[in-house]
Amino acid sequence: MPKIAGLPPGTLILLILRVVRPGPLHGYAIAQRIRQLSSEQLSVEEGSLYPALQKALVHGWLKAEWTTSDTGREVRSYRITAKGLKQLETEQHDYQRMADAIAAILQST
Amino acid sequence: MTTWLRRVWYLLNRSRHERELVAEMRDHRAAMHDPSRFGDTHRLLERSRDAWGWNWLDDAMQDLAVGMRTFTRSPSFAITASLILSFGIGLNLTLFQMAHVGLLRPPALKNVESWVRLLRSAPGSTSSTVPYPLTQYVRTHSGGVLSAVILEHQSNIAWGRDAGQPVNAAFVSSNWFDEAGYGAEHGRVLSETLDVATGAPVVVVSHAFWRNHLGADPAVIGRIAYVDRKPVTIAGVASAAVPGLDYTVPDVFLPIEQRDQLYPQGRLLRSWDDEAVDMYARLAPGVTVASAREAMRAIMRAASAEHPQIRGDEWLEPLSASHNFMRAGERQGVLAVLSLLGALTTLVLIVAAANLGNLVMSRATGRVREFGVRMALGARRMRIVRQLVIESLPLVALGTLGSIGFAAAAAAAIALTAGFPPYLDFSIEWRTVMVALALSAVSLIVVGVMPAWKIAQQHLIDALKDGGHNLSRALDRTLMRRVMVAAQVAGSCLLLVVAGMMVRSVQRGVAASAGFDYQRAAVLSMPLGRYGMDTHAARAYWHAVKERVLANPDVESAAIVTAAPLGGRVNETSYQDTPGLRTLIQRVDPEYFATMRIPLLSGRTFAASDVNAVIISRRLALEMYGAEDVLGREFPRSTGQDTVIGVAADAHSIRVEANDVAELYRPLTVEDFSYVELVARARTDAARLPPIVREAAMQDPAVIPSARLMREDFDRRMQGPRLAGAIAGAIGMLTLALACLGIFGVVSYGVALRTKEIGIRVALGARRPALLRAIVQQVLTPVGAGAAMGVLLAIPIGIALRGEPFYLERDPVAFGSALLIFAAAAAAAALWPALKVLRRTPVDALRC
Repeated sequence: MPKIAGLPPGTLILLILRVVRPGPLHGYAIAQRIRQLSSEQLSVEEGSLYPALQKALVHGWLKAEWTTSDTGREVRSYRITAKGLKQLETEQHDYQRMADAIAAILQST
Repeated sequence: MTTWLRRVWYLLNRSRHERELVAEMRDHRAAMHDPSRFGDTHRLLERSRDAWGWNWLDDAMQDLAVGMRTFTRSPSFAITASLILSFGIGLNLTLFQMAHVGLLRPPALKNVESWVRLLRSAPGSTSSTVPYPLTQYVRTHSGGVLSAVILEHQSNIAWGRDAGQPVNAAFVSSNWFDEAGYGAEHGRVLSETLDVATGAPVVVVSHAFWRNHLGADPAVIGRIAYVDRKPVTIAGVASAAVPGLDYTVPDVFLPIEQRDQLYPQGRLLRSWDDEAVDMYARLAPGVTVASAREAMRAIMRAASAEHPQIRGDEWLEPLSASHNFMRAGERQGVLAVLSLLGALTTLVLIVAAANLGNLVMSRATGRVREFGVRMALGARRMRIVRQLVIESLPLVALGTLGSIGFAAAAAAAIALTAGFPPYLDFSIEWRTVMVALALSAVSLIVVGVMPAWKIAQQHLIDALKDGGHNLSRALDRTLMRRVMVAAQVAGSCLLLVVAGMMVRSVQRGVAASAGFDYQRAAVLSMPLGRYGMDTHAARAYWHAVKERVLANPDVESAAIVTAAPLGGRVNETSYQDTPGLRTLIQRVDPEYFATMRIPLLSGRTFAASDVNAVIISRRLALEMYGAEDVLGREFPRSTGQDTVIGVAADAHSIRVEANDVAELYRPLTVEDFSYVELVARARTDAARLPPIVREAAMQDPAVIPSARLMREDFDRRMQGPRLAGAIAGAIGMLTLALACLGIFGVVSYGVALRTKEIGIRVALGARRPALLRAIVQQVLTPVGAGAAMGVLLAIPIGIALRGEPFYLERDPVAFGSALLIFAAAAAAAALWPALKVLRRTPVDALRC
């Protein structure tokens, strides 16, 4: 089965916030996690992660910090903030409502 | 941290942040199996930057850099443009600064909000001065309404052992300095406890007097000086910042309480008839102006019971220092004149900005191809507008800076030329800078935004096809361009007419003074009241002096008068029969008309036996009776108490520049002699007169007279109007130059665009006059419309400035000459570039 091309607009940030919720991750790890969690169904142009990360930084949903990676290198990882958790909740809720609405239409006879 | 603060923080650390982002992306790519799936790093970096929202700043900085570059590349344009703007904004700043410091800002006094000036008022009349005993009565009976009473009486005294130097002295209450909140530069100021009536007489000299006449020597403290030949001790030098309560800072301050020691026979401190002192007071805390007025009514009523000189319906009207001691009506008048002047200077700014806007537009039309390319590459219209606006920023910034410099220099120069008191500090303050910024924002709209908007509205991409030629021509013919030319013409025409009217008002002053001969006259004054002489004694003294003056062979004639021309104590009234005309009343002796060379048109001069006789000026006769032949008629016409015995030619000897005055002459009464003056006429040269009249006046050696040349009074009097006329003329001419520059620019640009076409038409045999007409046609309508509008607008402005201080008249000469000057200059500006292109040979033109 071919992969799903692209993401619905606005959902990338939702996914990022979701994958960093358990703990801080660096950019590459975020991309990996998204791929893994979607069972490799979502093909995101990985670079487009970075503009989205910047947007989350501007709004204060994420906080960047320097940590040392497993390989011993200095990497920048992103930690979700309280504001980010709230945003995640809102976006998740909104997304769910939209998905339900679309599903309702599709399942109608 | 708010989003906004995060953005700023990012901006401050941007380069580090970007470096890190690039490194992060590079590592990410390197870690991928298939790096091509990462995407274009450059594009992603750009989008990441976008997220922080600072891209507009980058663009702006770029545009600014381009603007600065074009600026430095054509310095002559840059300099001209910023000079034009400096002039336009600077003029407004100058007016603002001068009006604020000179008229609107309250005097710098301690607790200024509690200060009032008290005017003696009755229904229908006001006097700015009050008798000294009344001030003392009010002080003791104020019942806690006033926390202090401050007095000032300015008069001339003679300084020095030989009484050789006339000096402007103020006799002030000894609490003056303490209440005003000023100390001494050296020594001490006057003090309520030290300078009592019986104390040793002291004087405090002003800082300017100390610097200019006492050699700025600190050792003068304690020395003996002479005031009207009486010894006084110099107690101190006042601080340089001491303000004048009534704008004039006296040369020396003397305690009014000690006045009796200087003039033992003087009556000023005792007379209830002598309205001699300016009365100021400080209201007690919590007392409002309205409640003070009521309290003053009650006090005056009480005073009237004890003193017959005070009437029961009188009161003392408090005028607040926060309003510069101005009456409500007076303040409104000042504000009205200022706003009108403000409107005129704003007009100059509009002319300047429209001019620049036109210049900027002409330059930008040469760049339509560049904009076309940018739009073809995807730039949006707003981006083009923004670019053009930002490019004109350096221009406006430089102009604003220049305007502040202009205002500082102009205010200082005007203050110096007009002889404003030195305590008025006209240097630029933050308020002026704020006004400058506001005006520069307005200018930016006219200079930057409007032309940019107009250009961005065109089909710029089409400009690529024909090299922008059609578009340039279209822009050249836009309505906005014509409106800008019309605005410049209207503004400059209006200002020229107003300037013309001002110059004419000065001329009228000079012409009015031709109604009496001041060139060969001198004035003698001596305050006989100080020496205890009034009524009959004063009359005898003055008559003796006059005889001695006349005995001198250098003197042709002499006369005694209550108000010598160009000075003296003015008595003014307005009759029901002549609404709008102010009548100035002088009491004169029979020789006055001969001495001042004022012709009697009919009738005769006064005789010793005349009591209820008046001589009126021609204008008063015409306005009151509608005829010149009014001998024997009753005066005033409706309530006739007096008889007209003569009609004199018009001689606005008191208010030379005014246009709403007429003169009325009455015979002298014996009461007048305590304050009259003597005018003398020289056979040859007036300069010989002062020593002669002074000598004659010193019959009693105690009397210290002063004498002055009338032409000096005249020059002093005309100084203000002359300065105003000169400034108005200069502004008018500069604005005219701007408008001509505008017309020149438009015509020459139009010609440059059509050189080829003109060449072809010449080659095909078109006649030059017809071509000339076609070229100039473009500016003819806007110039004509603008000129008409300017002239029409000048009429209401002339009416509004009819009264004080400018006395403008709707003078056809002013209108005509302004229009003539304008037409000549505009024609030259329009024809010059047109003729230049027509002189070229067709072949030459075609090669362009």
